[in-house]
Amino acid sequence: MTFIAHDTLVWLSKSIGLFYLLILSAAVVVYAYWPANRKSFERAAKSIIEGEDRPWG
Amino acid sequence: MAQLTRTERQIALALFVGLAVAGLLMVAGGRADPLGLHGALILGVAVFGSFGIISKYYEPLPGADRLREYYDDPSKFGVVAAMVWVAFGLFMGDWVAWLLVNPDLTFDAAWSSFGRIRPVHTTSVIFGFGGNALIATSFYVMQRTSRARLPDQLSPWFVLLGYNLFCILAVTGYMLGITQSREYAEPEWYADIWLVVVWIVYFVTYLRTLARRKEPHIYVSNWYYLAFILVVAMLHIVNNLAVPVSLGHAKSYSLFSGVQDAMTEWWYGHNAVAFFLTSGFLGMMYYFMPKRAGRPIFSYRLSIISFWGITFFYIWVGSHHLHYTALPQWVQTLGMTFSVLLLVPSWASAGNALLTLNGAWHKVRDDATLRFMMIAAVFYGLTTFEGSFMAIRPVNSLSHYTDWTIGHVHAGALGWVAMITFGSIYASVPWLWKRDAMYSARLVEVHFWLALAGTIVYVFAMWNSGIVQGLMWRTYNESGTLTYSFVDSLIAMHPYYIARAVGGLLFLIGALVGCYNMYMTIRAAPQRKRLASTSDMPAAVPAIAPAE
Amino acid sequence: MFGFHYRLERKTIPFVLAIIGAASIGGFVEIAPLFTIHQTVESAPNMRVYTPLELAGRNIYIREGCYACHSQMIRTLRDDVERYGHYSLAVESKYDHPMLWGSKRTGPDLARIGGKYSDAWHVIHLNNPRDVVPESVMPAYTWLKRTELRTADLRLHLKALREVGVPYTDDMIANAPADAYGQANPGTPLADGVIKRYGETTDVNAFDGSPGNVTEMDALVAYLQILGRLTDVASNGPAAGAAEP
Repeated sequence: MTFIAHDTLVWLSKSIGLFYLLILSAAVVVYAYWPANRKSFERAAKSIIEGEDRPWG
Repeated sequence: MAQLTRTERQIALALFVGLAVAGLLMVAGGRADPLGLHGALILGVAVFGSFGIISKYYEPLPGADRLREYYDDPSKFGVVAAMVWVAFGLFMGDWVAWLLVNPDLTFDAAWSSFGRIRPVHTTSVIFGFGGNALIATSFYVMQRTSRARLPDQLSPWFVLLGYNLFCILAVTGYMLGITQSREYAEPEWYADIWLVVVWIVYFVTYLRTLARRKEPHIYVSNWYYLAFILVVAMLHIVNNLAVPVSLGHAKSYSLFSGVQDAMTEWWYGHNAVAFFLTSGFLGMMYYFMPKRAGRPIFSYRLSIISFWGITFFYIWVGSHHLHYTALPQWVQTLGMTFSVLLLVPSWASAGNALLTLNGAWHKVRDDATLRFMMIAAVFYGLTTFEGSFMAIRPVNSLSHYTDWTIGHVHAGALGWVAMITFGSIYASVPWLWKRDAMYSARLVEVHFWLALAGTIVYVFAMWNSGIVQGLMWRTYNESGTLTYSFVDSLIAMHPYYIARAVGGLLFLIGALVGCYNMYMTIRAAPQRKRLASTSDMPAAVPAIAPAE
Repeated sequence: MFGFHYRLERKTIPFVLAIIGAASIGGFVEIAPLFTIHQTVESAPNMRVYTPLELAGRNIYIREGCYACHSQMIRTLRDDVERYGHYSLAVESKYDHPMLWGSKRTGPDLARIGGKYSDAWHVIHLNNPRDVVPESVMPAYTWLKRTELRTADLRLHLKALREVGVPYTDDMIANAPADAYGQANPGTPLADGVIKRYGETTDVNAFDGSPGNVTEMDALVAYLQILGRLTDVASNGPAAGAAEP
C-alpha cells in the first residue's frame, strides 16, 4: 500500500470516520422514530409472546 | 438421529469418512509434530461418529409430521454441552486462580503450568460455554420468531458437533503447547480453517431459516444473532491470517507483525467482546427476558437504535487496549472517543431491559430465573460504564496491565454473560424437554445466590488488587525515585488472590448445582403428557391454531 | 427513507450487507493507515533478525504462554520508563510475527530484559523461580533443561517467516539448524557461522551452562537475552524522555 501517502490515508480515515458516524446515527434515529413504523414495531414486540408454539404451515 | 432422513444419514456418513481421511492425513503429515496427535484425535472422533451413524442407519425413517414441530434436538444438545463446558471451564479457571496463590499446584507437569491452562479456562468459558449457549439458543429463537422449522436436520448438527470439535482441538492444543499466542484466538491454522467451514454452515442455516419465515418482520433478537455470526466471521478470518511452517506443522507465523499486528489483535479482541460476548447475548436477552416476564420489550425502537449503535461504535474501540504504546496517538484517541460514545447504546440496552421488568417486580422477587436475567442487565450496565471509564487514557494509565482489567472482564463475564445464559437456560430447559418446570426451584435459588456472591467477591478482590497494584507501581518517594519494587506489589496481591479464588469457587459450586438441577429435570419423566397443541409456556396463553 | 429501511429488514441479504458495512469501516479506518506507517516512524537500518536459536526460544515463550503474565511494551509513562527503560518503539517489534506486547503484568515487563541478568540467573530462575525470588508466583519450568531442542525443521520456520516479510537470506535459511547448534556452543566451527551471518554483537554462549548439546533452556535464555537489543535505535535515537504521565 505504498502507492498512497500515509498522511492522505490518515486524513481520509479521520474525515470519512466522522461523516460516517453522523450520517448513520441520524439515519437510525429517523428510522426508529418514523411514525409509520410505529405499528409494525409494536406488533413485533408482542409477536414473541404468543402464537409461536409450532411452525406456521 | 431418528429425525434424519435417508439422504441426510448418507451425507452424515460421508462427512465422517471425509473427516477420518483428513485426520489420517494429519497423522501422516504431522508424525514428528503435535499436529499428529490432533490428527489422531480427529480420526478417533470420525471413526466413533461413523459407527454411531452405521449402527442407527436402518432405524425407522422420520415421518412427514415432523415438519409440523420445531426441531429442538440440536438446541438440547447445545444446552447440555454448554453446561459441561461451563463446569470444566470454571474448574480450570479456579485452578488457575489458585496457581497464583500457590504456584506449585502445577504438580511439575508441563501441561498444567499457568500459561498453558489460562487459555484453557478462557476458551472453555467463552467459546465452549458461551458459544454452545449462543448456538443452541439462536436455533431455538430463530425458529420461534420466524414461525418456521430449521431447513433440514443435518446442518444444525454439523454446526454444533463441528463447533465442539473446534473447542476440543483448541483446549487440548494449549495443553500440548499448540498456540498462536493471540489472546482469545489462540487455536492454530488448521483449527481456524475448520471453524470457518463450521461458521459458514451456521450462517447459511440461519439465512435459510429466515428465508422460510412466516412472520414478515425479523424480530430484533435475530438481528443481534446475525451480527454476532457475521462480524465474528469477519474478525476471525482477518485476525488469523497466517502462514503455516509446513502442512505437517501445527505452528504458523502471523501475516502481521509489530504495531499492525497489535492493532489487528485488539481489533479482534475487543470485538470478540462486542459481537461474541455482547451482541449474541443481547439477542438472547431480548427474547428470553420478555418471554419469561410475559411482557413485551419496553421499547422496541430503543432496541433498534442500540443495535445499530453497538454495531458501528464497537468496531472502533479496540485501540483503547493500546494506550501509551507505540500505536499512533490519533488511533488511541479514536478508540477512546468511541469507547465513551458506546456508553449510549449500551445503557439504552440495559435500561430497556430493566424497564421491561418494571411492573413485573413481583415476578422478579419470586422467580430466580427472571432474577438471573435482571442481575445480568444490571451488571451489563455497570460493566459497560466501567469499560468506557477505563478506556479514558489517564484512567487507563493506572488500570492497564493490572488486575483491574481482570476484575472488569469478570464483572462482564460472570455478571452479564453467565447470568443471562443461566437465566435463559433455566427458562428454556423446561420448554425444550416439555417439563412443567425445573426439578427444583429452590436449587435455582441456591445457584442464584452462589453466583451473585461469587461474582461480587471476585470483582471486589480484583478491583482492590488492581488499584493497589497500579498505585504501587507509580508511587514515588521524597527523593523522586520509585518507592516499591515489582516484588513488593506482588506480595501485596496475595490476600486478594486468595479472595478471588474463593469467589471463583463459589461461582463454580453454583454452576455445579445448576448442572445437577438440569440433569434431574431432564431425567424426570414428563410430568404430564402434553397435547401437541398446548403452548410450551408454563403460564398458558391462548395458542393460535396453525393454519395447515 | 422508511420505505428503504422497511425493505431492508424484510429482505435478509441487504440487511446482512448493512451489518457488514456498519461493522467493517471502523476497523478499516483504524488498521489501513498502519500499513503505511513506515513512512512516518523511526527506521532502524542496523536492526537484525532473530537467530534460529532465539527464534526457537521465542516459540517456546509462546508455547508456554509467558505473554499471559509478561508484557513486552513499555508505555510512554514516567514510572514505566524509570522501571523498565526507554519506552518501546514501533520499529522494535517489526520482525515480531506475532507481536508479544501482552496485556497483563502479573510479572514485570520484559521488553528490555536482555542483558540485565546473567545467563546462569535465568537458568536457575526458569528452573525454579523461588530459588532466586522467594515471593515469585511464576511456575517452575523444570523440563526445559532436560528437553533437547528440535532444530531439524528450523529451515522451514525461517522460510515461513521470510514469506511474511522477515528478511532472512538464503544463507541463513540453509544453515539454520547448524546456527542453532553453533550459538549454544562457543569455540566450535559452527559458532563462527553465527557471527558471520548475524553480526559481531550476537551472543554465543552455552546458555544453559552445559555445552555440547542444545536444549530448550538454551533457546529460551538466548531469546530473553536479546529482548530489547535487536537494535540500539532507542538508546542512540532521540533523547530518552518520557511523556507526561
